[in-house]
Amino acid sequence: MSPTTAMYVAQAIHGLAYGMLLFLVSSGLTMIFGMMGILNIAHASFYMLAGYFCYTVINMTGNFWLSLLFAPVLAGITGVLVERFLLRKVHVRGHLAELLITVGIMLVILEGVKVFWGTESLMIRMPKGLDGLLTIAGMVYPVYRLFIIGLSFVILGIMALILFKTRLGKIVRAAVSDADMVSALGINTPLVFMLVFGIGTWLAGVAGVAAAPLLTVFPGMADQMGMDAFVVVVVGGFGSLLGAFVVALCLGELNAYGIQFIPRLAPVLMFAFMAIVLSFKPTGFFGERE
Amino acid sequence: MRMSWKNWIPWVVILIVVVFYPVVTDIYYTNIFVGFAIFALYAVTLNLLLGYNGLLSFGHAMFFGTGAYATALVLTHIPGFPLLPSILVGGLAAAVMALIVTPLLVRVSGTAFAMLTLAFGQLMFVLALKFREVTGGEDGVGGYPIPPLKIPGVASISMTDATNFYYFAVAVTALCLWLLWHYTKTPFGSLVVGVRDNAMRVDFLGLTVRHIRAINLIVSGTFAGIAGAMFALFQDLVSTVGVLDIFNSFSPIMMAYVGGVGSYFGPIIGSGILALLEDLTRQYTERVELVNGLVFILAVLYAPMGVVGLLDAAKTKWFSKSVEKANVERLS
Repeated sequence: MSPTTAMYVAQAIHGLAYGMLLFLVSSGLTMIFGMMGILNIAHASFYMLAGYFCYTVINMTGNFWLSLLFAPVLAGITGVLVERFLLRKVHVRGHLAELLITVGIMLVILEGVKVFWGTESLMIRMPKGLDGLLTIAGMVYPVYRLFIIGLSFVILGIMALILFKTRLGKIVRAAVSDADMVSALGINTPLVFMLVFGIGTWLAGVAGVAAAPLLTVFPGMADQMGMDAFVVVVVGGFGSLLGAFVVALCLGELNAYGIQFIPRLAPVLMFAFMAIVLSFKPTGFFGERE
Repeated sequence: MRMSWKNWIPWVVILIVVVFYPVVTDIYYTNIFVGFAIFALYAVTLNLLLGYNGLLSFGHAMFFGTGAYATALVLTHIPGFPLLPSILVGGLAAAVMALIVTPLLVRVSGTAFAMLTLAFGQLMFVLALKFREVTGGEDGVGGYPIPPLKIPGVASISMTDATNFYYFAVAVTALCLWLLWHYTKTPFGSLVVGVRDNAMRVDFLGLTVRHIRAINLIVSGTFAGIAGAMFALFQDLVSTVGVLDIFNSFSPIMMAYVGGVGSYFGPIIGSGILALLEDLTRQYTERVELVNGLVFILAVLYAPMGVVGLLDAAKTKWFSKSVEKANVERLS
């Protein structure tokens, strides 16, 4: 195989890995948006928070797998607490107050991690067995990126099973499309909201831990991921998981190839596209509601 | 209604304080006051959207940043460009920016408006970051000459002197705030509030809601650009992270909210409170934003009308004979 093709394939794998991470983050964001009608500005902060939790857990136990188990759960618990004690309190006052409070939460988490962990980039070693390269058909792949892709697909599969095959999933999907109606049917929607918020932040947390060894952990790590996740949710359509999946993968590839061919235009195109979609097709490509 | 001499007392007191402030304090606190004044104006322009029109903008930095960049670039590239026109250039550039985005922005409201302004704000941020031939990228534009204030035939006042610049900045800010105050009191200002409270009713009166929103947006953007221009003159450095960053869109929101979005003076008070708080926390920790963020969350949770709202409530509770009286004077 020629080196050029090899390069293309390698870029595609990079893009796919980033796209899957992006999907993990934005799937939670889009579900929260669809259900509660709020844009969670602080969503990517939970992604970052999990990265820091991962660093601490690894420091304490020396085991990456334990941190993959515990750090997202800690991020999810933080998310549940935020929903229960902050968002729910202002829910009656409308979306504006909720939007504002997520801005405050984002700032506090961002500055909080600087207080606890400092402002420097923290390196996290890749776990043994995943730090090498894999050769398939004369091509070299970094194992860790393949691991991220595999992990994401497993989680995606489990989530799809829960969403489409269980009663809980049915309730969540119904609440995404019309929360008031579900509430009128006698279902405890605040509890469902809290659960979805927890799962959403947990998903972001999984992405944070998976990304930590690859991108290192630093206070700015939420910035790009957060903005990309907004673009995914907007373009894919609020509340649409399928839309989030397709757009996240496209954006991942745009990121990977854009850096190579149009380094200047790639981010500009992204936000211009978001603005155009919002202006002319506010429901996104896969969504049904504004 | 004519104002009695009692109503003038607070203004005279404020005037005396402002005039003698740089005399009694050192250069550090003089500069803090200039920063406060610029951001007070910036927060008031944001509140024209948030408080008066009910639209939350997450991209207000695009106007502030455009104004700042325009002023910095015109001073860099045209030698001997005078002071006051350079500020007008900033305001004008922001007005053009507002004109460009307005047709799209007036189509939406609520969360969609917040998202769309976020998208435009980020678009401007990455544009400024990537097209470094013009904007200098991350390093920004800096070290341009700050022109003196020339009064033909009388004097030429250097603006590099901190005290001189203080008086100049306070005068410009006060003029802008005075203009905006009267803008909110015009019949059109009442229409803007009307659109916030009941857009459909304004529509039924035969007025076009989109036009009202558009004009208000352009006024707000223009004055935000003037605030940005002042910032460019104040700092002598304009960089993407300094003026176009999303945090620069968030800070006027925090100021407006902490001070109170229900009052014209709320954002000014909020800007003052956050500036004082920042100075206070800096003595103990570098993490100023942490305290600001916590204060902001508390404000959203417990004081949705900000400090002004709290004071109003206290006044009603303890001093007013009838409860209705205090409610009349709210964003009329």
